Amino acid sequence: MKRPDDHGLSRRSFLKKSSLVLGLAGAVEIPAEAPAVRPARPADAKPMNLALLGFGPWGREIASTLERLPEVHLAAVSDPYDVMLRRVGRSYPEARTETDYRVLLDDPAIDGVIIATPTHTHRQLAVDALQAGKHVYCEAPLAHTIDDARAIARAAAAAEGQIFQSGLQYRSDPQYRSVFGFIRSGAVGRATMVRGQWHAKESWRRASPNREREREQNWRLDADLSPGLLGEIGIHQLDVAAWFLGARPVSATGFGQIMLWDDGRTVPDTVQAVLAFPDGTRHVYDATLASSFDGRYELFFGSDSTIMLRDSKGWMFKEVDAPVLGWEVYARKDTFYKEKGIALVANATKLEALGQDPAADDPNAQTPLWHALKAFHDNFTYGPFPPAAGPQEGFEATVVALKANEAVLAGGGITISEADLAVG
Amino acid sequence: MERICLARRAMACRFELVLEGDDPARLRAAGEEALREIERIEDRLSFYRPASELSRLNARAADGPVRVSAPLFGLLRTARRLHDETGGAFDPTVGPLMRAWGFTRGTGRLPDPAALAAARRCTGMAHVALDADARTVRFARPGVQLDFGGIGKGFAVDEAVAVLRESGVRNALLHGGTSTVAALGAPAEADAWAVAVAAPGEGEASLAVVRLRDAVLSVSAPHGKAFEAEGRVYGHVLDPRRGAPAEGAALAATVTETATEGDALSTALLVLGPDARSLTARYRGRMQALVALHDGTVLAEGFPPRLGPTAVPARLTA
Repeated sequence: MKRPDDHGLSRRSFLKKSSLVLGLAGAVEIPAEAPAVRPARPADAKPMNLALLGFGPWGREIASTLERLPEVHLAAVSDPYDVMLRRVGRSYPEARTETDYRVLLDDPAIDGVIIATPTHTHRQLAVDALQAGKHVYCEAPLAHTIDDARAIARAAAAAEGQIFQSGLQYRSDPQYRSVFGFIRSGAVGRATMVRGQWHAKESWRRASPNREREREQNWRLDADLSPGLLGEIGIHQLDVAAWFLGARPVSATGFGQIMLWDDGRTVPDTVQAVLAFPDGTRHVYDATLASSFDGRYELFFGSDSTIMLRDSKGWMFKEVDAPVLGWEVYARKDTFYKEKGIALVANATKLEALGQDPAADDPNAQTPLWHALKAFHDNFTYGPFPPAAGPQEGFEATVVALKANEAVLAGGGITISEADLAVG
Repeated sequence: MERICLARRAMACRFELVLEGDDPARLRAAGEEALREIERIEDRLSFYRPASELSRLNARAADGPVRVSAPLFGLLRTARRLHDETGGAFDPTVGPLMRAWGFTRGTGRLPDPAALAAARRCTGMAHVALDADARTVRFARPGVQLDFGGIGKGFAVDEAVAVLRESGVRNALLHGGTSTVAALGAPAEADAWAVAVAAPGEGEASLAVVRLRDAVLSVSAPHGKAFEAEGRVYGHVLDPRRGAPAEGAALAATVTETATEGDALSTALLVLGPDARSLTARYRGRMQALVALHDGTVLAEGFPPRLGPTAVPARLTA
């Protein structure tokens, strides 16, 4: 099948190969920044035609995010359930709807697909889409087993000239990218520890009048199909920690309990995990569906300062003996109980020049998902660039999250080997 | 029979949901999805969130046509119809007037005359052009602002009820800030959900007890947010036609099929006050209405008489 885009084919395939070689060698891979200033959009550039596979709650989030990307056209949606397709008709009347995604893979007008189906179905869809010559954005985690994740990563590596972006959306978010650079430049001193959490009070269950459908919808509660809280949610935060630390964890220790939603599920509603890195740094993480207190955040502790990220906003808390940073006197400070946090804002100088308060809601602010989908489009139109989260990053993050989930289910510690993390 | 109660903060009020059925886990799951739908709609339609689709529309539509999502366009068409049918007593362009009167972020104040005149020039659906083929919206002049404060909550309740039905829920009661109440089916061993409408003012007296089954009760009253100046009390519900707080009635309530219509119509009745008859006649058979005027007169159209002499607590009763 002819690939829908043949521009830049050779460079894209070269970059894909070289990034995989680096990954196999165990080197720390820092994705190259796409150029900060995009080349002008070619006058004859077509919109990128995308098919969305899966119209559950996350699929709907993706669809509504695509509406804020005028250069992307949501051409089609597939979902095996009619009820979901009727919803598509109400919200996106121009989009073609299909119960069978394979029909869309045969359509040469579709440039790429976004996979937002249940995790255990990703492998079939991703491999089929890649073999059909489509660009693929595959939600994280790649799969619910390491074997499936490896099969997807291998298919992506074999698909020369096609973009494969994993849904590790924070890797495309300007605030996270900015803090990444900040930490890697030594602003926190010696990195000593990472702590993260995701807290919500919700059952994680879905309802349907059809019992069979309901059983399928509730795959997240079935330990045979679900990678649990660590695989479905924690993966993003575990990945950010490994990305910022520039290292891959060597072991995972975990515990999990059903504390509130004892409704027949086999997946813990409350989990704790500790990821150990080669230099001794530990990432302590917990997630729960039983309490919403303090929501979600990540803390990066260092000998000079600690950085907190929450809601795509960042703050730095300095030690009194840390060197003074030239810009900090100008920066906005927010009080958290007795601590003063220095606001970190991506492109802060530019915002301030515009007279905006960096901590206020920015009318132009976009979500991490928007940035990730924009990067997918930009790669199609202006690329090839190495994706901020390509098959190697997607695979590694998936393996780490699945191993951590395995540790949670076993209630103990397991090692993560180089072989586990190799696509092969 | 099991009963599950859920609550969520959204749209600057508390939404509460009561569900009845056989399986509590399923009921909760359906209820959570319905409440999430309300949060998604707030993200999209909030006048106060700079990144909402509505805020982006308000920021750009005076410069040229802005393409909007199908749900937002659909709501705008409904809003235009309700505006026309209420003779402008309901108006989603009332935002600049609300700001001039200080009700947008505060409890109100007397407006600066020049600011009020400027706001009045930007009020009216005549300034909003909808192009159904291109699905675009354009404002005829700078300063026009759409604000779904009048019907956004109703629209969110309608969408949440659709999610509940889609999930197989048959019996439930959902309210947003007690002003918009939607009933699905009926509670166990009853043929309807009974909801008391609180009488305006202090105290626990109720004006009526409404029996709801697959219907929506919507209540509008100016006393929630008001200020006093020069011996007069000004409430936060504005009469878009006069550019000043509505003074026609102390409370208006409707029972309709959808919450979107109910919110717009109860607001319009409050604005119309003694002139509400024209609207209740127009909607006869599609709307039950009750308007409590300031002099104590109650205009009723299809509303049940007040039940009994004792006060009924002004809260949801099943």
